[in-house]
Amino acid sequence: MNSIHDMGGMHGLGVVNTADDEIVFHADWEGHTMALARAMMAGKHFSLDEYRHAMERIDPARYLGLSYYERWLAGTIAMLVKKGVITQDEYDAQLGALSQEEA
Amino acid sequence: MMAVVDLDLVRSLYKTPGAAQLKLDVAPRFKLGDVVVALNINPSGHTRLPRYIRGKKGVVERDHGVFHLPDSRAAGKGDAAQHMYTVCFDAREVWGDEAPAKDSLRINLWDDYMTLA
Repeated sequence: MNSIHDMGGMHGLGVVNTADDEIVFHADWEGHTMALARAMMAGKHFSLDEYRHAMERIDPARYLGLSYYERWLAGTIAMLVKKGVITQDEYDAQLGALSQEEA
Repeated sequence: MMAVVDLDLVRSLYKTPGAAQLKLDVAPRFKLGDVVVALNINPSGHTRLPRYIRGKKGVVERDHGVFHLPDSRAAGKGDAAQHMYTVCFDAREVWGDEAPAKDSLRINLWDDYMTLA
């Protein structure tokens, strides 16, 4: 798919951070996101390649604004809905409930 | 059938090196030293062939063995098992004459991504 993820050769995106001491997870939710994705793939809910394609299909403007693990999470949610593990309504309802809890 | 994710499965996933390689006897379409051209394909599905390498000429440097074709598996069309190689491209072939002459880049490409130059 010719989309924003295939950015090799593009200018204007800034320097690549190659810090040797960069931490693996910047927050707990990032680790949880990775664990969830790996578990879904180990459980044969979707393949790594389908998962990558789900991330490629994120709206290009939105894609650029997401962090690395935010893309993983968006891809995981898209896959879970596509495969019927959860419905979009269930996800929206749960998100709404959690937002109310936080408020 | 969905697998149950237990500790043994997690251990095997994380501790088996090269687990993605398929133990299948598939004939390679290319050999080391072959000069190849990356195909100009523009699929709407998933591919591991980046845009900037399409139509460019490179040299087959290493044969990693047999792997599933990501394009096929992403589309739910099976493994399409085939050889995957490291192909070396001259930086100037990819980016033009302003690229440093000594630079090159290596990309892993599958049989279906290439043709002989």
